[in-house]
Amino acid sequence: MIEIKGVSKAFPGRKGSEPVQALKDVDLIVRDNEFLTVLGPSGCGKTTLLRVIAGLVPHDTGEVLVDGKPVTGPGPERAMVFQSFALMPWDNVLTNVAFGLEMQGVDKKTRELKALELIEMVGLGGFEKRLPGELSGGMQQRVGLARALAVSPKVLLMDEPFGALDEQTRRLLQEELLRIWEATRTTVVFITHSMEEAVLLGDRVVLMRPRPGRIDQILDIPMARPRSTHLDSVESSGEFTAMVGLLWSNLRAMHSDVRRARQAGQAAATKP
Amino acid sequence: MAAVAPTPARVVSPGFLSRLEAWPTVASFIVLVGGWELLGRSLNQPFFPPLSSVLNELAINQAEIMAALGTSLTNLVLGFIVSVVFGVGLGLLMGAFRKLDAALDIYINALLTAPSLVFAPIFFAIWGLERWSIVAVIFMYSTWIMVVNTVTAVHTVPPEMLEMGRAFNAPRIKTWTRIVLPSATPLIMAGIRLATGRAVKGMLNGEMFIAIVGLGKLVKDGSGRFDASLVLAILVVIIVVAFIALWVVGWVDARLTRWLPKTSR
Repeated sequence: MIEIKGVSKAFPGRKGSEPVQALKDVDLIVRDNEFLTVLGPSGCGKTTLLRVIAGLVPHDTGEVLVDGKPVTGPGPERAMVFQSFALMPWDNVLTNVAFGLEMQGVDKKTRELKALELIEMVGLGGFEKRLPGELSGGMQQRVGLARALAVSPKVLLMDEPFGALDEQTRRLLQEELLRIWEATRTTVVFITHSMEEAVLLGDRVVLMRPRPGRIDQILDIPMARPRSTHLDSVESSGEFTAMVGLLWSNLRAMHSDVRRARQAGQAAATKP
Repeated sequence: MAAVAPTPARVVSPGFLSRLEAWPTVASFIVLVGGWELLGRSLNQPFFPPLSSVLNELAINQAEIMAALGTSLTNLVLGFIVSVVFGVGLGLLMGAFRKLDAALDIYINALLTAPSLVFAPIFFAIWGLERWSIVAVIFMYSTWIMVVNTVTAVHTVPPEMLEMGRAFNAPRIKTWTRIVLPSATPLIMAGIRLATGRAVKGMLNGEMFIAIVGLGKLVKDGSGRFDASLVLAILVVIIVVAFIALWVVGWVDARLTRWLPKTSR
């Protein structure tokens, strides 16, 4: 279980401007074996939230606990999948997937055996000797997913993992991710800017709002599991459409709030 | 679902086509060689001998040139090895420690732009006519460009790669051996390539102006006698040496950076 209690985080602004309040008083509980998706407009702090959980950036106030232990930095029980894939182009698929285990000091034979198993699981069997540069974007992110799963994490942190992929590839990977998740039930925190993706994958959707970044509301997604076997009918269901519609009306309201605030700011600035 | 392999990019098979693609190189070589010979013959001046008499000179002085070449190559290899070890080593340290970089950056750039031969009297004062004077000149010529390139190489390691390393708890030493060094290798090798040409220049200048030995001595003797054929013959030898040195460095580079996509070579 991940407990986030009263977490705030500000980044220093550029020269002369005010610090940016990326997160303000965020409270959130991520349950074990839950697939949690985090959605919000850009600047709402969703990626910062993930990086705080990962231990990549320190938070200013509050506390983050993973299974009761405070997060002070990255840890082996949390593994991350990156939007930019972040694969090592000089290493083949096998070595890339085994990287996390290598960093933990696992011996070569053991980690490569484990890596091969994961490569098979993400559907890349036979590609273990290829270099990332020889793979398509979708295949590269499968490698990224396998690398994260190879360390057998309790929590999988995914930062817009399919954001850099084309629509069709993204669709196939969503299906693949659901299939793997339904088999493993690892706790997932999944950042996205796609409403459809948030609803399709998540047990709950955390909707965040910007300036300062905070949680707007948390929605339960009532659709049954497993979903990977019939994604198309999930997407055409009334529940799905209703959830996406609800998220959109909230997001649209946020966008007009932001615009109104900006106009008010400009008006204030132009006053003598 | 099974992933599908992307078709590997096919390189045109070596043979007729690639030889055809090399024709501009072959053509320019023929024009240069032919033009030199014709111009030399028609001018009929001692300061611009035709290629044939240059090659003839090369053959006549073969023994002397080979002996000089041995001396020069020893100087070159020694100077270059010292430069690479020091240049890349210092570059890595400056890349790792921002404060060291801030402290030394300006002096490295000063040394990079300063004409290296002005240090010759100092080396001469220390080592006299010893080999180390020339090694020191080669060092001054070739080291600083490698320092500059290596620092840039370390600083331009993609931040997302470093973050990935952090996310997987990479120890500091592993971050360097598994992420920073491989990522920096192409730029470091580019610096070493640039340094190769500079080292050859440093070798010749050192041999001509400090300790008069090797190929530099022959050039100096030849020019003292206004023997243009000998000077040009040595020039041909030096160019061949430079090409071989660059080829060796290129060969190492290609092996170390095999993973780079073909287009970014």
